[in-house]
Amino acid sequence: MANLPLTEATIDNKAADTRDSVITGFKPAREQRLQNTAKRTDSWSLDLVAIGERRDREAFARFFRHFAPMIKGYFLTHQGMMMSSTQADELVQEVMLKVWTKAKKYNPEKAAASTWLFTMARNTRIDMLRRQSRHNTVVLETEDIWATEEEESPVAQLQQQREQSLIKDAIVDLPPEQVQIVQIIYMEGKTHTVAAEELNLPLGTVKSRLRLALAKMKIQITQSADEADFLT
Amino acid sequence: MIKYHPNINTLTEYAAGSLDTAASLTVSAHMHFCHQCRKHLQDLQLIGGTILDRNILVADVDSSVLDSLMQRLDDMENQPEPPPKQTTHGSNSDSGLAGLPPVITKLIGTRNQLKWKKLTKSLQIAQLATGQTEAEVSLHKIAAGGKVLEHDHRGQEYTLVLKGSFSDENGIYQPGDFLLKQPGDVHRPYAAANRDCICLTVVEAPVRFTGFWGKLLNPFLRLHPA
Repeated sequence: MANLPLTEATIDNKAADTRDSVITGFKPAREQRLQNTAKRTDSWSLDLVAIGERRDREAFARFFRHFAPMIKGYFLTHQGMMMSSTQADELVQEVMLKVWTKAKKYNPEKAAASTWLFTMARNTRIDMLRRQSRHNTVVLETEDIWATEEEESPVAQLQQQREQSLIKDAIVDLPPEQVQIVQIIYMEGKTHTVAAEELNLPLGTVKSRLRLALAKMKIQITQSADEADFLT
Repeated sequence: MIKYHPNINTLTEYAAGSLDTAASLTVSAHMHFCHQCRKHLQDLQLIGGTILDRNILVADVDSSVLDSLMQRLDDMENQPEPPPKQTTHGSNSDSGLAGLPPVITKLIGTRNQLKWKKLTKSLQIAQLATGQTEAEVSLHKIAAGGKVLEHDHRGQEYTLVLKGSFSDENGIYQPGDFLLKQPGDVHRPYAAANRDCICLTVVEAPVRFTGFWGKLLNPFLRLHPA
């Protein structure tokens, strides 16, 4: 999977080192989640607020110890990065510096701490890929294309929280073949086309698996002009 | 009212950061117009956060990393705050381009050095430099009432209407409407009669005009990723 030891941080540790078992790794985390996620998410949001408002180093260290291993795993999972542990540590630092400088813009009413952090990590990954491939000066910053600010129009906080817990509940119950696609697109940073090639599946199958997964997470699908392409 | 959106697979790739830069630019500009897709994006990012938080794959981070990070924070705090960056957008002199998504305004630049190249009587194209090599990014301007030669698409083509409107056999497209054409799709767009139509276009392989006159034109059309 990567050139470094990645550890399965699940309660049930019988998973072997194949993609399939990595994917079933979603499941065991559930018991843990049932016990403490509601509280935990809240406390990470509070830490972010403390970092933003009071430059709280203790909160920052706590936040780092909890999330840095996940972010490092995120970078090491990415396709084609083939990076060393030291390079991944560098990127972890880059993400955490963003956390430190941008935390004052974090609004706990609009996003869970992990969602906000995900956008920071994602943009850092995009930054790095763009640094590697650009051939001359670049007009646009990554943030110009992938904004990390949340939607401004007020979504009722209660509704937002309900949707968040709905998605979180649904994701652990997805069948493995759907989790696999979600995993490849989000963690490995691959497109449907690449996923289809790798899995030796028709593109339409890959696309519909993702759609089924999203439907289970109650994400309403906007009708678009090119719906037909999902059958190709 | 926006009627044509990126499909959910494209939106997901964008949210996950796996969609290439040029296509992402189009999706991002669509977001400027579309509340509904901004909401979808939130949900799709929430999935990203949830996966990150599920700790499927974690890698040990040595405590020295935190130490050196704390050192960097010290260094940062001992330095004076850098002056806030000058925001350059919004000062575009060409009033015809006012109200565009900020990302497009920024791409065009303050000096508005768009070089419109006349391709046919009704179609002008201005290349945009985006610092990537996967696709050609440009603005297309169809003159009021003008028709574009029938053409098909050898690669994927993303189109976002920025100003005015155009139609083809399948519908009428207004500002904010997003179209994705697949290789082999043939269409013949024409602009509304009363005003020019400006679109952001990302082509992952060059467009090919079909028909006799179109075939004559093709040698002049090359892909210029920039």
